Parts: sequence; structure tokens; C-alpha cells
Amino acid sequence: MYKYFISICLLFVFAENFSQEQKKDNIIPQEKDTVVYKTNYGLRLGMDISRPIFSSLYSNYNGLEIVADYRIKKNVYIAAEIGFEEKTSIEDYSNSTSKGNYIRLGLNYNAYDNWLDMNNEIFVGYRYGFSLFNQTLNNYTTNVSDMENGSYFPAVLNTVGQASTSLNTHWSEFMIGIKAETLHNLFIGFSFSYKILMSVKDPENFMTLFSPGFNRIFESNTGFGINYTISYLIPFSKK
Amino acid sequence: MKKNILFLVLLTGIFTACEKDDFCIENPVTSRLIIDFYDDTNRETLKNVQRFSIIAEGKTDSLFVNTTSNSIAIPLNSLTQETRYTLKKNDENGAEVDDKIATFTIQYDTEEEFVSRSCGFKVIFNNLEFSSNTNSWITDFTPTTIINLDDQSAAHVQIFH
Repeated sequence: MYKYFISICLLFVFAENFSQEQKKDNIIPQEKDTVVYKTNYGLRLGMDISRPIFSSLYSNYNGLEIVADYRIKKNVYIAAEIGFEEKTSIEDYSNSTSKGNYIRLGLNYNAYDNWLDMNNEIFVGYRYGFSLFNQTLNNYTTNVSDMENGSYFPAVLNTVGQASTSLNTHWSEFMIGIKAETLHNLFIGFSFSYKILMSVKDPENFMTLFSPGFNRIFESNTGFGINYTISYLIPFSKK
Repeated sequence: MKKNILFLVLLTGIFTACEKDDFCIENPVTSRLIIDFYDDTNRETLKNVQRFSIIAEGKTDSLFVNTTSNSIAIPLNSLTQETRYTLKKNDENGAEVDDKIATFTIQYDTEEEFVSRSCGFKVIFNNLEFSSNTNSWITDFTPTTIINLDDQSAAHVQIFH
């Protein structure tokens, strides 16, 4: 009996498989659902609420961003963000302030299949970003210390205030995010973006540490951003 | 629930955005002057300086105290146009009467150059001129001038003693 224990188990496995087989010839063909649920098309306007929050939390940051999108197809939106940002980058050896405006333009594709007439989104997007700003090197100290001797000779804090005007950056940005219609025509959205710097005009004998719209420029010329938006849809038509 | 998740993601964004992510790994950022000590008679061979100490003028702490070495790297003062070091050696048994003193002076211009976010600005020393006092244990040195000091790959000055 025990000798065939595993074989007996296998027998049951096969038996179960047979029992799962369906008869295919009694499925009734169903009529196609002809009800079309219409959703609003129009201009959606809003603002990023994370930026005022950051502005109040951090003394070295100020920012504001207006967001807008326009639905051109069932799943496709033209989207844009315009904003202002000012940030003081406090580093070990330098302190600099970037201040300027930016615009991001692009498309969102909604990958979410809505139920009925709901209008929520899980979207992916692309943006082209451009920023025009000034950066002031408020102060810096030269790095004259080393690991073996420490700071044998002193370094002074230079408070020269080198201002560099009309700097600019261009970048590409890939976004992923969600938008939910919480009240009628009122949307709350969250998105995360990965930015790749395409070109940057650096100050002379210094570099752009922060670009408005792009945020901190990392060593690899990439950046990250988040948006937390509240927006209102002004409906133009129902399709 | 959805809003809670959004809030958590937002908070994560806030805190991760403030993490320091890069450290200056260059050492040193501002180049030091590398001096090799050679034998006075057999000028191709390195020669150790016995019980060697070095201190810059105006400082109270020494860079090296009673070390035995044939190569040193010393920083230059970026806030002045001149750094004067006092070098002491003792070839005998360490008794204070046998201390031999020499001064080595470096004159230069400075220039600041941006390196990176984490390392900041370095100082490049230009038009360096070396001199030492006569009748000291430093018999000779070469070269007497160098155009700039901005790398650490080789010795900049050879001192014969």
C-alpha cells in the first residue's frame, strides 16, 4: 500500500484535472452592450499644492506652479505646467540661490479603463521643459583641507555675491501619476517624474546646482520631481 | 485609503529629497606641494631625512614631528602670496644641540577654480618661486620655479641634502 502511495496521489491529480474540463457548446452568445457612457471634455486648470507646502516648511525654498491640461482624445491629454521657483542650495563649500521661471509642455496618456462614466486616470506622460533663471553665488569657502593634515591653513568665507543672469536649462521628463475625481469636476492628482537634462548654461567658474522646474541637478545630469495637484475641469463638451 | 497612500508618498518625497547623496571623494582638492629629498653627493638616490619636523611660519603646530621620510606633501597658504616653512632635521642621536634648521620659502599667485558641488572650489597656485636660506642643511634644490601647482601625480621639488 505504502509502496504505491505517491502513485495513488498522482491518480487523484489526474482525476481532478478531468473534472475541470468544461463543455463548450452550451454558451449562449450575448448581445453587445450598446450603452455609451459619456465623460466631460474640456480644459482642466489647477495648481500644485506641494510647492506652497514646501515653501512654508523650508526657509530656503519658494515656489508656485500652475497646471493645465486639455483632453484631445479619449485617453490623450495635452498638458502644461508653468511655475516659479527660488531655492538656496546650501552645500559644504558654497551657498547659492537659483531663481526663475519654467514651463513644461507635453502629453499625458491615460492607461486606466474607467468604469461607467467615471473619469479617473493612471497616466504616463512626457514633458519638454525649459527654464530661464538667475543664480547667485552668495558665498563660498575654498576647499584647502585634506585628510592627513585637516585645515592646516585657514580658508576664509568669500562673500562676493557673484550673480549670473539669463541662465537656462532644457530637459526631457517622463512622468507617471494618478488623478482621481474626488468631487464633481474636481481632481486630485499625484505624479512622479524623472528628468534628463539636455542642455544647461552654467555660470562661469561655477555650475548650476538647481534649476527651477528641474530641481536639483544630480551628477549624472538627471533629476526627480513630484507634483501634488488640485485641479478643476471646465467642461466644454461631453463625448 | 487612497489619500493616505498619497500622503505617504508625498512624505517620502519630502524626506528622501533632503538626503545628502554625494560626498567629496577627492583628496586633497587643493594640491599640496610634494617635496622629495635626495642625497647631496649621489644625486640620483632618495635620502631619508632623520628626525624631520616641519612647521609653517606663524603656526604653532607642526605638520610632521620627528619623522623619517624622503618625501613630504605640504599645503600652501591660499590666503597669502608666500608660505615659509621651517624644516628641522637631526642626523645625530636626537639631542637638541644637533638640530639642523633650514627655511624653505614658496612664493606664488593664487587662483580659484570650481570643482564640483560636494568638493567646492580648489586653489591653483601659479608662478611658484622657491628659495631657501643660505648656510642651511638644504644644499640645493631644483627646480627654482614652476608655472603652476595643480596636480599630485609627481614630486614638484627635489631638495638635496
